[in-house]
Amino acid sequence: MKRTIPLVIVFTCGFFMLTAFFIPVRFVQDMSQMLQNWYVGVAAFFVFIGIINLIKINLEKIQRKLRDWQYSFILLGFLFFMMFAGFVLRGHTAGPVFQYMFNYFYTPCSATMFSLLAFFVASASFRAFRAKTPEATLLLIAAVIVMIGRIPVGYSIWHGFPSLVEWIMTVPNTAANRGIIFGINLGLISMALRVLLGIERSYMGGGD
Amino acid sequence: MFWIGFLIISALNIEAFDTPNDDGSSITITWPADTNLPVMEIMRSLDPGRGFEKIGDVALRDSLFQDAAAARGKDYFYRLRWTDPEGEKFSNVAGPVRARIQLLNFFRLRNIGLLIAILFAVIIFYIRHARSGKKVTIRRIPGLTAVDDAIGRATEMGKPVLFVPGIMDIDEPQTIAAMSILARVAEKTAEYGTTLFVPTCHAMAMTMAQQVVKESAIRAGRPDWYNIDNIRYLTDDQFGYVSAVDGIMLRDRPATNFYLGSFYAESLILAETGHSTGAIQIAGTAMSDQLPFFVAACDYTLLGEELYAASAYLSQEPVQLGSLKGQDLGKFLFIAIIIFGVITRLLGWNFFYNLFSVQQ
Amino acid sequence: MKILDKLAVLDRRIIYLLVGLAVIIPMLIPLGLPVDITRPVQNVYDKIESLTEGSIVLMSTDYDPGSEAELYPATEAIIEHCFRRNLKIYMMGLWPAGSALGERALDTLARVHGKRYGSDYVNVGYRPGGAVMLLSLGRNFRDVIRVDYTGRPIDSLELGRQVRSARDITLVMTLSAGDPGVIHWVQYFHARFGTPICAATTAIMAPRQYPYMNSGQLVGLLGGLKGAAEYETLVKRRGRGLTGMDSQSIVHVLLVLFIILGNVILINQKRKKSAPGAG
Repeated sequence: MKRTIPLVIVFTCGFFMLTAFFIPVRFVQDMSQMLQNWYVGVAAFFVFIGIINLIKINLEKIQRKLRDWQYSFILLGFLFFMMFAGFVLRGHTAGPVFQYMFNYFYTPCSATMFSLLAFFVASASFRAFRAKTPEATLLLIAAVIVMIGRIPVGYSIWHGFPSLVEWIMTVPNTAANRGIIFGINLGLISMALRVLLGIERSYMGGGD
Repeated sequence: MFWIGFLIISALNIEAFDTPNDDGSSITITWPADTNLPVMEIMRSLDPGRGFEKIGDVALRDSLFQDAAAARGKDYFYRLRWTDPEGEKFSNVAGPVRARIQLLNFFRLRNIGLLIAILFAVIIFYIRHARSGKKVTIRRIPGLTAVDDAIGRATEMGKPVLFVPGIMDIDEPQTIAAMSILARVAEKTAEYGTTLFVPTCHAMAMTMAQQVVKESAIRAGRPDWYNIDNIRYLTDDQFGYVSAVDGIMLRDRPATNFYLGSFYAESLILAETGHSTGAIQIAGTAMSDQLPFFVAACDYTLLGEELYAASAYLSQEPVQLGSLKGQDLGKFLFIAIIIFGVITRLLGWNFFYNLFSVQQ
Repeated sequence: MKILDKLAVLDRRIIYLLVGLAVIIPMLIPLGLPVDITRPVQNVYDKIESLTEGSIVLMSTDYDPGSEAELYPATEAIIEHCFRRNLKIYMMGLWPAGSALGERALDTLARVHGKRYGSDYVNVGYRPGGAVMLLSLGRNFRDVIRVDYTGRPIDSLELGRQVRSARDITLVMTLSAGDPGVIHWVQYFHARFGTPICAATTAIMAPRQYPYMNSGQLVGLLGGLKGAAEYETLVKRRGRGLTGMDSQSIVHVLLVLFIILGNVILINQKRKKSAPGAG
């Protein structure tokens, strides 16, 4: 029973959504929309579950003075402060305190993490972009051409570089991407069918 | 000038028809595209001779207008009105036309539905084929063969295993695929008594992961091994999540990292940080633009559909392997369709291409 | 060679330092390298140039502060172009943080061009729901949008009253850093309602959009900071795109040097292994 009910729900809802794609009747489309709205509603509720989990784990760390408990203190402090700033210190829209925190704390921190990519791309290039096989060599040559061709320096070296890059992006890259996308979506359809038919059940935590 | 104007009026022939494959709430009006005429008004009436009211503005080059406010069961008439240097001009009156409900979208059924039905049939055929006891073999996937060894390595070193199930929620198929693999990984780590960390980016994914890991521990006969605090929600924010996971990697130094699921820009940040700690890394994603980063920085990478096949591969269940065989046959079918389409287009035969033209 | 052996185990922090210098130095000493214009960017420019005055452009800021460096310059350049052509901007976002960033760009440039909120531009803010929301939006904007970014009723704004459905939108310009984003606009909004779509994406996402451009589902594309720099060149605006291209040029050259060095080290190691008497 514990396993059967979820499987029945998966089967019913899954096949309903699949057939709704082919039935333009307003009633069916409204039902389909309602199911999707239910998901959005459940997902919104789960935000609270996540926050509770976060608070619980970090409070425990503080209480038991586990390793790096000070960071948990800072995390919870900022969490509650942002919630206070967002819900209490506001008018029609986010108040000045929330906007300040967003513009001068959250935005720079987020941008900083994204900027790490520049450094990590450099170290990955140095370590991993080696011409060990003919395919790797081909990849390397294409990567170098695209990297140089997409910057003004490339245009200065040779005016034809950007056109060559465009050809690489438009022809072999597009062809390869399409092939990958086809394969991925076929795999997705196969997995979806296994899930719908209840053959694939490990995501529910159960055995096969 | 009048003669040219007359030519313009009589040349602008509009047609109106019930929008196909819809719920009977719209009528489509079309006309030949011409870039020389200005913005026009589209007008509607219940009478062909009078009572026309403006229902929208269109540019001539648009060549199509959909009246989504048409009531079902009523006959409508349409015409276009525009102004040029000679004055006010009108097109012909198209109609009567009535919006009708279609129970099925035949365009989608013919194209997408038929292909999906064929694919489903092929997959189900191979599932039954496998159920009948016939052996199904699939090629070796190095990334999946290495899972046991990777977990064994962590056990020997006395270090934990880190499993990152992507940054999307459970409505993303890749997350479901990742959870399926998590079940196998959790069972193995429970068996060996190795610590398993599963930080998640969404609370629903956390709840699913907790259930998966708990059940795996029970199956492995080690319910005491399960620690709910090791499967935790971090944050919904992409870079907040990746900085927290990096922190886990740098503090707890897991010996084995799994990155399986949907990833975006944070893929290289995770992989490089993991590499700097000396961990063995197995990644898998269907995000084609993140695959190069995982290939460069990880020891093993599951490419696209290999992620979706992972659960079947790891279980080695004949029924699941049968579905993979069916999927492969479906792929051959699509390749054949593509080749046939390319040949017919090269020969100038458009009938096959037109079957798949983009339409609502 | 000993130096190659030493480089083979180069501390990654030295690599990080070199990259940091490669970014900072061109910012202090601008090189002013000319930027070539590629076809996908030219297509976006031509499309906006072809719109008649008063056309409504829906701009969707589908990114967050992590992608601000790449997409904010493109946001500013597109808004600048639209305001110069006297096009109306209807801004929204599929990501929560994108609306705040878009609002900043709109406010700044609206003041410069003397545009009035409510009649020349509106910002309705973040709209959750992804694909489902886009389908509802295209059918009837009122199903999804009742108030603007500040909570004002949308019907109290002149531009808000003008936009009822996808038919009233001449062009969608999505600035997208992931999911939901350009793919949703193409697969749901364009496929269902036929509205032309232009996009600006992060550089990493750009290759994935080429199939959509080749099939005509996407009119044009600004890929990464380079795309923003190209667009700034076309609209003759000196923004962060062009400023950043100098640094990006030097870093790309540095990456190529790292790759070449890595392969020289590989060749050296192979040579040593195959040398007579090698262990």
